[in-house]
Amino acid sequence: MKRFLSPKGLVGIILVTLIALVGILAPLLIPPEAATAMDMTARLAPPSANHLLGTDQLGRDILIRVLLGSRLSLEIAVTAVMISIVIGLPLGMVSGYFGGRIDNVLMRLVDTLLAFPALLLALTISAVLGPNLQNTIIAIGVAFTPYLARIVRGEALRVAQMPYVEAARAAGTTDLFILSRHVLPNILPAIIVQATISLAFAILAEAGLSFLGLGTQPPAASWGLMIQASRDYLERAPWTALAPGAAVALTVLGLNMFGDVLRDILDPRSK
Amino acid sequence: MKRRDFLQTSTALIGGGIFMGGASLPSLLMAQDTPVSGGTLIWGHSETTQNLDMHQTGTASSGRVLQNIHSSIVTVDANLNVIPGLAESFEVSPDGLTYTFKLRPNVKFHNGATMTSADVKYSFERCKDPATGAVNFEVFNNVASIDTPDDLTVIINMSAVNAPFLSRLAENGAGVVMPVDSGPTQGTNPMGAGPFKFVRYEVGTVVEMARFDDYWDGPAYLDGVLAREITEPTTRLTGLQTGELHMINDIPLDRVEELKGDAALQIKTWFPLNFDFINMNHTYEPFQDKRVRIAFDMIIDKEALMQGALWGQGATSASPSFPTSAAYNKSLVQRAQDIEGAKALLAEAGYPEGSLNIVFKATTNYPYHIETAQILVEWFRMAGVNLTIEQLTWADWLSQCWVDKDYQMTMMNFFSLWESDFLYFSVWNSTGAFNYRAINDPVIDELTAKARITVDDAERAAIYQQVQQQIWDESHDIILWFRNGTIGAQPKVMGLDTVVHPNGSNLNFHKVWLSA
Amino acid sequence: MTYVLNRLLSVILTLFLITLVTFAITNILPGDVAMMIMGTQSNPEALAGLRETLGLNDPMLVQYGRWVGGMLTGEWGDSLIFKKPIAELLSQKIVASSIIVVMSMAIALGAAVPLGVWAAVHRDKWQDSVSSTTALLGVSLPDFFWGIVMILVFAKWLGWFPSSGFVDPSENFLLAVQHAFLPSLALGLGLMAHLTRMTRSTMTGILGQEFIRVARAKGLSEGTVVWSYGLRNAIGPVITIAGLQIGYLFGSIIVMESLFNYTGMGWLTYQALLNRDMPLIQATVFVIAAVVMLTNLLVDLLYLAIDPRIRLG
Repeated sequence: MKRFLSPKGLVGIILVTLIALVGILAPLLIPPEAATAMDMTARLAPPSANHLLGTDQLGRDILIRVLLGSRLSLEIAVTAVMISIVIGLPLGMVSGYFGGRIDNVLMRLVDTLLAFPALLLALTISAVLGPNLQNTIIAIGVAFTPYLARIVRGEALRVAQMPYVEAARAAGTTDLFILSRHVLPNILPAIIVQATISLAFAILAEAGLSFLGLGTQPPAASWGLMIQASRDYLERAPWTALAPGAAVALTVLGLNMFGDVLRDILDPRSK
Repeated sequence: MKRRDFLQTSTALIGGGIFMGGASLPSLLMAQDTPVSGGTLIWGHSETTQNLDMHQTGTASSGRVLQNIHSSIVTVDANLNVIPGLAESFEVSPDGLTYTFKLRPNVKFHNGATMTSADVKYSFERCKDPATGAVNFEVFNNVASIDTPDDLTVIINMSAVNAPFLSRLAENGAGVVMPVDSGPTQGTNPMGAGPFKFVRYEVGTVVEMARFDDYWDGPAYLDGVLAREITEPTTRLTGLQTGELHMINDIPLDRVEELKGDAALQIKTWFPLNFDFINMNHTYEPFQDKRVRIAFDMIIDKEALMQGALWGQGATSASPSFPTSAAYNKSLVQRAQDIEGAKALLAEAGYPEGSLNIVFKATTNYPYHIETAQILVEWFRMAGVNLTIEQLTWADWLSQCWVDKDYQMTMMNFFSLWESDFLYFSVWNSTGAFNYRAINDPVIDELTAKARITVDDAERAAIYQQVQQQIWDESHDIILWFRNGTIGAQPKVMGLDTVVHPNGSNLNFHKVWLSA
Repeated sequence: MTYVLNRLLSVILTLFLITLVTFAITNILPGDVAMMIMGTQSNPEALAGLRETLGLNDPMLVQYGRWVGGMLTGEWGDSLIFKKPIAELLSQKIVASSIIVVMSMAIALGAAVPLGVWAAVHRDKWQDSVSSTTALLGVSLPDFFWGIVMILVFAKWLGWFPSSGFVDPSENFLLAVQHAFLPSLALGLGLMAHLTRMTRSTMTGILGQEFIRVARAKGLSEGTVVWSYGLRNAIGPVITIAGLQIGYLFGSIIVMESLFNYTGMGWLTYQALLNRDMPLIQATVFVIAAVVMLTNLLVDLLYLAIDPRIRLG
């Protein structure tokens, strides 16, 4: 419990809670049209009483966009990571638990996919499917899957060799039962830790795709898209990048710190 | 804004240049200096050069570079009048069926050969041959034969009148003269009679050119030009500001006004560079109804859109004709924004509020298209139309919108279409090469065909004005504006006001020099 | 030895699978080569003819066979947009990118190793938090964002480095390094976080081991114990982890090289994707995947040499 209260851990927990709260509450309190409402008389306006964090190139309020954007960015990250879990978890578990030929075949496949850099994979998938929100999520999710499968497989392999699992097997318990009752609960901590870190990477990946025009489509307010749009105005109006940049940085930082804390609590071996 | 720009432009034009403001201090002070030779100009080019074969290339980016390598048989002055080029004189028979060109003597090609009538014949026949894949092949459709009675005379016999023939030859794509049999290597090693020789090209990186000492109009001042292709607007501007580049074209639009006040740079703007329009796919059911197209036009406040997307660097226009062209229909006025009226018209056409979901495909190749689309989304939402943006790379835009016509709404710009036949026939005739909206209007088809056989210039201009009226009446496309061209340069770059070709897009470095 | 043999066999199998995946991906991309060649002049008849000459109408299996066959015999074909032999293009661009990869790795290790060791020595103290937070800052923003900041600060305001472009090291080595520096720095920042974390955990493990206690008992100074005894044992695993980041780097250079107009593999891949230059996409994607996989193999073998107990497949 000592580590739980370490300042770093505390900061991580506070940040993640705060961002999650904003992501949930902002859309309830601010009408969605506010994110795209333009004021052509106040373009690239510096922070002021009217626009606390300034405006972007189309006179849209950056504070409102960052607040509403939290929902979109988190949604993209969470859904993408969910996709990678939904595909990667069964794949990795089956591979690690059964071993042998199945493992060989599946892991060759995973190794193959791992050889393609995640961004390259996401870029290509995005180009194939066409640019829109769902496809961005799918692209990131699929690109992350082999990494998750690899980790799950390693964990499943470890658990499968534990005496109680071998005992259960010897007693004739079905594989499905062992997988769901013994293997899954034991590998869950590692997956939760990995998922937390993956969320951080998904937020960055969305920004990377948006940079190349293949991510979220304008005028949606996603943090990645906001940073992308700000690059041409960075010198003249640094506030256009500051707020979404800070939002991404704090979220990624928070998720990483939170992940470290989780790891220490859930997965004491790694200490 | 619009009127002011027009006034500025026309007065500047009378003054002989197309300089529109932005004459910063250094260039004025040093204007009287005598040019010196030497130095290589490093130019940050905004777009990637595509195909180097002057006949085959259809992109403004390639034309911009190749302008320096080639010369055409005729060219145009600032008022778009056809003037001599490689031909020192030309004559059209009264029946419009015979064109006689007297070539300049002692014009040298980059390979050292002297230009003769045989080269002209070769070039024109190459352009006409469908196997060449020339963009302008149809210019020569009516050419029956080309005679070369002596080395310096070319006689072109037409089977039928083609009134715009001469002006079409004023663009390099059709009127360029290449040495006999140089065709097969033009794509890799373009060679002509222009002020600069081609040295090397690395795709997406750099085009290098060197002075051609035997240029017929006197050698250029610069030893060479290094065109570095930098498509990121901010990277390009930074390169200019750090001194890595001498000159860039296409300054980020929001920075133009601010940079004009920067004494460390010369900023030159001119009008027009290109026109933009919003396209509706005529095969998509809602757009087959004229009322929907007109309603869409009514949703848009063009002046506000221009200020928003171009930061005021342009002027709205209801006509796509060059404002200096005789064919420009001055009586046309863009529809004013009327969201309620648009709603009513859409309801009348059977599309009540909330029933239209339209995907707007915009290419990231032109960042201001993305801004335009974002502003449109807001207005269309107010009018009860749900517009969604899909950003496409240039390649995807070409394949989806241009070739497959797989889109509902998009927008595009065209450079250098100052010649009315090229403009209206290609873009709006149902068989036109640029009719990617599948427009099929018998009135336009008839008018554009009629213009081709109308020899009298004034009469022909009147026909094109009718075409513009018809486009507006039917709201086939929504014509938005002409965009300003911009160049930024170090103070030491001299002769900037000679750089821009009258077509608004090509850049010519013949008279540019670097002060010590 | 059987392990090494097995590993090599699996590499060949994976390479084969990589060709399959690469081929599959590039064949479901929208648009095709014929379209890109013709551009705005495309018309259905001409397109059909060109597709026929290019062999795009052949069965998939035939096309795949032709592609793999060509690769095996060294016939990589020509790039459509660059109009140059692909093999020649790749060999140039790989040199350009390896400069960036090596430099960013050196920058990342140069920062991560001291930071990680420092954190491990002062584990759970404020130094630990400072170290990991500093390292995390690098990875908490998209790397292109750092790239833009680098251009503004080091190129524009300070004028220390060029803002864009690539220079061939054989022409001017110093200039080449200068052009590669800013993109490498931006990439290095992103790499640093992970490497710092790995250094810290490896060092923590080593500092708790018997031989360190013995060294301390012998009265060796703490500096010698940590930097000489400790680090010597930690550097192997850290470099191994660094090697595994090559894949991440090859993804990141796509964005970074495009931002800096640095004409290496990443830039080439992006140009190929942008222009739907299928032969070039196939080649770049295949080469990147193969390089990543071979680096991983090297790392595995290196690990084996360091710690022969590892026998995992």
